[in-house]
Order: sequence, then structure tokens, then C-alpha cells
Amino acid sequence: MVERQNLVASGYSRLTWLAIGLGFLIILAVSPLFLPRFFTYLLALILITGLVTTSLNIALGFGGMYQFHHAVFYGVGAYTVALMLTKTSLPPALGFILGPIVSGILALVMGMICVRLSKLYFGMLQLSLGSLVWVLVFRWYSFTGGDDGLHGVPVPKLISSVSGSYYFTLIVTVICLILMYVILNAPFGRILQAIRDNPERSESVGVQVRLHQLVTQVIAGFFAGVAGVLFVTVEGSTFPDMMSWTLSLEFLIMCLLGGWFTFLGPMLGATIIVSLRTLLGGYTEYWTMVLAIILMLLIFFLPEGVLGYFEGLYRRRSASLAEDR
Amino acid sequence: MRKIVSAFTFMCVIVGLLAFGSLSLAADEIKIGIIDTYSGPPSSYALDVLDGFKLALNKINAGGGVLGKKITFVTRDDKFKVDLGLTAAKELIMRENVNILVGTINSAVTLAVSDLAQKEKVPFLVTYAKSSNITGAKGHKFVFSMNENTEMIGKAAAIGLAKRPFVNYWIAGDDYEYGHAVADAVWNHLKKLKPDVKLLGQSWWKVGEPDFTPYITSILSAKPDAAIVATGGAGCIPFLKAAKNTGFNEKVPFYMHTATELSTMKPLGLDAPEGVIGTSNYYFYYPETPENKVFVEEFKKAYGRDPSFGSLIGWFTANFIAKSYEKAGKVDAEKFAQALSGMTIDSPAGKLTVRQQDNQLMLPMFMGVTKKAPGYDFLIATDIVTIPAEELMPSIEDIKKVREK
Amino acid sequence: MDFSTTITLNGLIQQFLVGLSRTTILFIVSSGLSLVLGVLRIPNVAHGSLYMIGAFLCYSISTLFGAGSTGFWLAVILAPLGVALISLAAERGLFCHLYDREHLMLLLFTFALMLLCRDAVKIIWGSNYRSLSPPEILQGSLSILGMPFPKYNLFLLGAGPVVALGLWFLIHRTKIGKISRAAAVDRDMVGAVGINVSWVFASVFVIGCFLAGLGGALVAPTQNITQGMDHTIIMEAFLIVIIGGLGNVWGALLGALIFGLTDSIGILVWPQFSIVFPYAVVVIVLIFRPKGLLKATW
Repeated sequence: MVERQNLVASGYSRLTWLAIGLGFLIILAVSPLFLPRFFTYLLALILITGLVTTSLNIALGFGGMYQFHHAVFYGVGAYTVALMLTKTSLPPALGFILGPIVSGILALVMGMICVRLSKLYFGMLQLSLGSLVWVLVFRWYSFTGGDDGLHGVPVPKLISSVSGSYYFTLIVTVICLILMYVILNAPFGRILQAIRDNPERSESVGVQVRLHQLVTQVIAGFFAGVAGVLFVTVEGSTFPDMMSWTLSLEFLIMCLLGGWFTFLGPMLGATIIVSLRTLLGGYTEYWTMVLAIILMLLIFFLPEGVLGYFEGLYRRRSASLAEDR
Repeated sequence: MRKIVSAFTFMCVIVGLLAFGSLSLAADEIKIGIIDTYSGPPSSYALDVLDGFKLALNKINAGGGVLGKKITFVTRDDKFKVDLGLTAAKELIMRENVNILVGTINSAVTLAVSDLAQKEKVPFLVTYAKSSNITGAKGHKFVFSMNENTEMIGKAAAIGLAKRPFVNYWIAGDDYEYGHAVADAVWNHLKKLKPDVKLLGQSWWKVGEPDFTPYITSILSAKPDAAIVATGGAGCIPFLKAAKNTGFNEKVPFYMHTATELSTMKPLGLDAPEGVIGTSNYYFYYPETPENKVFVEEFKKAYGRDPSFGSLIGWFTANFIAKSYEKAGKVDAEKFAQALSGMTIDSPAGKLTVRQQDNQLMLPMFMGVTKKAPGYDFLIATDIVTIPAEELMPSIEDIKKVREK
Repeated sequence: MDFSTTITLNGLIQQFLVGLSRTTILFIVSSGLSLVLGVLRIPNVAHGSLYMIGAFLCYSISTLFGAGSTGFWLAVILAPLGVALISLAAERGLFCHLYDREHLMLLLFTFALMLLCRDAVKIIWGSNYRSLSPPEILQGSLSILGMPFPKYNLFLLGAGPVVALGLWFLIHRTKIGKISRAAAVDRDMVGAVGINVSWVFASVFVIGCFLAGLGGALVAPTQNITQGMDHTIIMEAFLIVIIGGLGNVWGALLGALIFGLTDSIGILVWPQFSIVFPYAVVVIVLIFRPKGLLKATW
């Protein structure tokens, strides 16, 4: 069984982490200056995918809910902003704000139906509700463009170039990550993790389990919507594939690969999968087979994910060090 | 100290060689990036296109290439997904520095890549996607359609069907863009040519529908004179199969665009229903011109099978590229696009021209009826009627109108 | 577009019958999925891949024997057995080490298996469409109420109840059925009585996968055999299992009936939106009975 732990159990001091984070951020901020354009674009894609998976992990790793169809919220955010920009003459900024909000509302509606159940039932119900949303988008030609999707979305000039969209993505992603981190470390986040570890006991001490789970759904849906909006900024397109169940499973794989009980694990998982897919996918037709083998090995040998594994190692070492003293 | 210096020199040489190598590579070749679906059901079409393309390219390169440069190509698999297609296109443009993009079978990927091609000013030659939006509403000077589109299919089918005695029609098709676009196009043009036609009803099935029997029985219960079946790709084969099993083709004559194409008839073998009306832009057995015979022989020799329409698309796409560079006189995207627009070449299917106004290739269409024939282990098209390209192209006024919107 | 359609009673009955024959395939496939889910608690996403492999094996075996009637009947028997063999290897080699993992892990693991199967099929059979004709006696159609009804669909209509009866017998009348029913409720208890649970699980898994292969083999003559078959069936099968009640084989039957019939009646009533019908029904059922219509086994 995977050893579950709470968020800030690591031994480094806050200051060290802050310094590492800042250094990393500076590298990300200046990299477009000397990276080829394609890699800047790839970085933006990684950040977006990382943001979706991190938001997925709020419900999955920290909320203990089987979030099987997270891509729906991602896609709905993207469709909302794309439709606002192409079909209405309202100010673009409104569309950018409305995207995540509509995703959040959808998460609320679906959540109200789903949180009555737990574990596999929850996941399956979410899967069927999500499929209904997908069918509607896929079918409603006059409105969503059907299976062709919407292309050439008029994104404002300032953020439509490769580096412009990259900086926009970077800033928004960092803000969202900080927000999510704060939420998870606030009392709300701690209660959520307590619910995950033992729902019955939490219920008995007077925690409103369903309400907390519902709020988590809305938060996760909202941030997935933000990622959807960013995707439209970078690619200028949306299409029904963005809410297909296979994409949802791919997001789950990324969480698993990075480590689903760590905050930054999903981001790492997204980085690995997206870069492998892009760089390897060009050379082999059988990229999915590589992915499948990685996944199988992972489940057998590294069920807590890459980052989870290293954190575990680190914790064990510091524990034995403490014993030696 | 000397060690360090020598190591440093060594590294400089390596880096210099690499840089020079990549430069020299860029200088004496023209690079084409092909994005298409090489996995999943649509890949059989994509591979036909690729083989035709390779056949023509090998010949061009054997003759010294174009402008003294060899033409090379790289392929990327989009797995029929828009996001992968877009990423691949960006990678080809930004990292591989391709001069031209070619692809794809999926209209959604094509429209997304076309938008990118316009922004990046890279010519994009579309090889199988049939949406009329590609050169219609969403057309621009860098996108070229190398195959027929839904408007052309509709016009051709309407011309052919209007000559037949049917009045009461039923429409059925794939419930996605292609199906609806073909059905609308056929019906609108048919109504113009023959105002007394009546539509009894329509059925739409989801893409990948495994069994068509319930749809067919529901059509039969309405007793139409004829049916227009707007299904493409993976749907054609099971539909024809179900039509044969229910005896649908004997009771209601029906039209299906790709019904007579080799890609549809070959897998069905002798199990295909007879008497199905279909349109196609190319048969390897018709017309029996010397050019066609040469092409079929060369293709058969290289790949061990008969060429389909896809193979022909690949073949003339490569030839169009070579001719356009020759005309442009240098490797330049703007010059290339100008040269290709309005270009005419000889092909196994006769003279083909890219229409200047919308960059749509003008392809004649053949309407035929499926029939068993001696010497073939699959059904072929008979009673072939040729509908010339001029008659079936969308009017330039219409193109202007939709582009203004 | 202008159109009007009248629904005749004959048409309705016809549509109903065709819907039933579609239901057969859905039932066979989803009952296997339900069995595996109920007893082993594996949400087997690769179930659809086994269905696809069943269809491909059926094609290969029947062409091997000359594509005639004998070839077809042999293939219908051998192809599911082949699939069962593959699943036995997968169970003994992989799944039996993973039973104590979380459902999520198992789900992702089977997803990996699905990706692997897809590429394997592509390597073995290539990417061309394959087509198989029904055996001589089942070709063509009969006239029922003045409408043509394909003989092969009639055969499927008969095959459904046979499989259902066989399953009922297996679950309620055989030792392995009784043990597996007990194991579904409390697997530790069964182990404690001295029964080798591991082999019970293996056999249930193999039976479930056999059903997937059988579904694939039976469906082969009605459609084109191609990559991507796995994708379409698995989502439907999961939805059927959910509305029927997880792990309940009769639930799978009920779910398949609901799914297949709303689909085919929807085609007649409102063709433009028929695709939305089954999904909407699933959601409505789940809003009122979130754990499915019949009692789940766990």
C-alpha cells in the first residue's frame, strides 16, 4: 500500500524551497530568449498540461476522489473562451474569465450528482455524465462546430505569438499553482486530506464530508478550465478530443507517473509524458506502446510515482539520520 | 594545459561541423513535412497517399531533383487527433524547418493546420480531407486542396442523379461534418436541378457505427425511390455489407460517394452489393489511357497492389510541388504559392489544374454502378459517366461570399 | 430540410427486433466485463481490446480454413478460446500480482494493456479493413411482416438467450460459480475455508475474457474488422454495466436491453438526435438509482 502523507512534511526549510522555486522561475522566464521557438511552444504545452494534472490531483490525490473524467472541465473551459471570441463581440477579457467559471459551474452540477457516491461508483458516474457532455459538444454543429471543432480563434494580438502566449501561460500557471498550494495548506485543504484518509472518522467528528468534496470538485474544475483557456491561447483551436475519456486517462497516468500524493508530482509527470510524446512520437509509430510499457513498469515497481519515490527516500534517510543522533 | 586546448579545439571543430552540416543540408534540399494518420482505421488511405507520393518523388529525384536540389520528406503520425496534428505541424515548421506541409485525412486537423500555415506563411497541400471549408470559407493563399471536396461531390452527384427517374429520396449518413456536408450539398444541388424531388426522411448514425441493419430497415419501411448515403471512410464497408445482407440494394437504389472506389471495393471482395451508384475521381481501370496504364504498372511494380485514388493524389501532389518550384525559380514560400495557384499538369486522370481563385484542384468525377466483372476478385464500376471538372466546381461568387462572412 | 416520417407498427416491431439482435452482442461483451468487475474488481478497459482480437482471430481462422461455412463455425469456437488463452497468460503473468492494488491502479494498468493490444493488432494484422461473410445458410434475409430481416441477425437473436442460460448455469449450478459468488462477497473467507482463491479468480477472469472474444467473433460478419473496434465498444459496455449494477450479470442483460433498444427506437423516432438517446437514458437512470438498477454484488 502506498504510504500517504500530508503536504508539507518535507524537511527542507521553507526558504530553501523558495530559493529553488525562484531560481527555476527565472530560468523559465528567460528561456524563450535563447530557446528555439518550437521549444518555447513545447514549454507552454507542458505548463498547460501540468496545470490540468495538478488541478486533477486536487480531487484525486488530495481529495481521494476517483476523478475519471477530468478532461471535460478542460474542454468546456476551452470551448467557452473559443465561442466567446469567435461568436460574440464582447471584450476578450470577459471570455478569458468566463471560461474557468463555466467549467466551475459544470463541476458543481456534475459534482452534486456524483459526490453522493464514493470510489469506483463516483468515477463511473462522472465518466457517464462527462460522456453526455462530450456527445452534446460533438453533435451540436451549429454551435460548437461539431467534430471539426473551432479553429483560428481570434486571440488578442499581444498574447497570440509563440513567446507572447508562452509568457501569458507561464504567469497564469504560476499564479494558479500558488493559489492551489495555498488552498491545500489552508484549513480546508487539511480537512480534505483528513477526509481522504478516513471519511468515516471525519464524518463522526462533525465534518461535512459531501460539502467539502463538492467544493473540491468546483476548485478542480475551475483550474482545469483555466488550463483550457490557456490551451486556446497557445493553439488557437478547440475540438471535441479535448474532452474525450482517453485524454482523461492520460491525465491520470501523468499524475500517477509524477506521484499523486505530492503537489508538484503531476507537473513532473506532465513534463515527462508531453516531452516524450512530442520528441519520441516523431520518430516511432509505436509511441503508445512505449507509454504502455512505462505505465506497466510504473504500476509494478513505482506505484507512488517518481517524485513520491524520491520524497520517500529522502524522508527515510532523514529519519535514520535522526535516529543516529 | 595542452590537453585543455586540444579538447577545446576538438569541440570547436565538432560544433563547427555540426553547424556547417546542418547549413549545407538546408542549402541543397527541399524538405517536405507530411502529417497524416498512420495508425488506426484511416491509415490505409494515408499509406496509399504516401506510396503514390514516394513513387513520384523517387522519379523526380532520380532525374536530378528540382532547381538542382533533392526533395526529401519527413512524416509525422497525428493518430487522427487534432492536438497531435497541431503539435506535429509546429514541430515540422519550427524545428525541422520544412518548406512545405502536406496532409491530412482529418478535416479538423487540416483546418487547424491550415490556420497555422497561414500564420507561419508555409504552403500547405491538403491530400485527403474533404471539407469544403478548407478552400471555401477558411481558404487563404497558402492552402491548396489536392482532392475533391464535399461541394464538388454534391454537385457531381446531383448532376448524375437528376438524370435518373427517382423522385422520393431518403438521406442517411455519418453524424459528423463530412456526412452532413455531403448530404446538404447533394440535396441542395439536386433540388435546383430537379425541383420536384421530395425528401421522405433522414437517418444519421454515429461515426464508427458497428451495425447498420436497424437504419436500413427503418429506411425500407418508408419505401423511398432512392437513398443518398453520405458515409465515408470506415463506415462505407459495414454499410455496404449490411445493404447486401438485407437485400437493400435490390429494393432501393442508393448513391454513396466512395462506393465504387478501390479502397472500398477491395476489402469487400465479391461480397459487395451490386447496383450501387457511386462517384469517384479515379479508377485504375478507367479511362484506359496510356498515361494511366504507365502509372498503374509503375505503382504495381513498386508496391505490389493496384493504385487507389489516394495513390494518385500522392503522385500528383509531388509533381505539383516539383513543377511549382521550377516555375518559381527559387525556394521561397510566397513565390511557390503564386506558382502553384493556376498550375496545370498532365496526370493519369487527364490534365489537372489548380484553380487560381481558390486554390482548389479541378478534378473530374466519374459516376458508375458497382458490378461483378470477370477477371477481378472485387466489384468494379460500370456504365461510367464522366462529369467534367468545370461543371462541378463551386462558383467563384459563392466562394467570395463565404469568405467575406 | 423538410421531411416528415410516419411510424408504422410493422416498422416499430421490425426496429425492435433489430434492436434486440444488437443487444445480444452488447450483452455478451458487457456480461463478461461485469463478471470480471464483480468478482475480481478489475475495471478492465482492455476488455474492448479482447473483443477486437476476437474479431480479428475469427477472420484469420476462418480464412485459414477457406472462408467457407466450416471455417466460420470453427472460427466462432476457436477465436474466443484463443482470446481466453491470451487472458490466462495475462492473468497469471500480470494481474494476479496486483489484486491488492487500488481500483485506480488496476484501471490504469488495463488501460496500458489496451494500448499494448492496439499496437500488437496493428503489427500483426496491419491497418487495412478486413471483412468476413456470414456462413452460407445465414446469408441474405427472411421476410418478417413484409420487411427483410437479415438471417444472421436472427441467428444472433437466438445466440443471446443461449449465452445467458449458459451463464446462469455456470453461476448458479456449478461449483466454480458458487465459489466465485462467495468470493465476490468476501474473498478472505473463501480463502480461509481452504479454497485456492487465486485459481478461482483466474478462471473467472478467463471466462469473462472468453465472452469478450465470443462477442468479437460473433460480430465479425456484420461489420468491418478494424483497429478502433475496441474504442467504440468499451465505453458502451461500461455504461451498460453501470446502469445494470456493477458485477450483476442480469444487470448487464437489463442494461444491454435498455441501451440497445433506446438506440434503435431512437433511430426511428428522432433520427437526428438518436446518438444522444442512450447516453441521456444512462444519466437519467443514474440520477435516480446511482448504484444501478439491480443489486450490485459489492
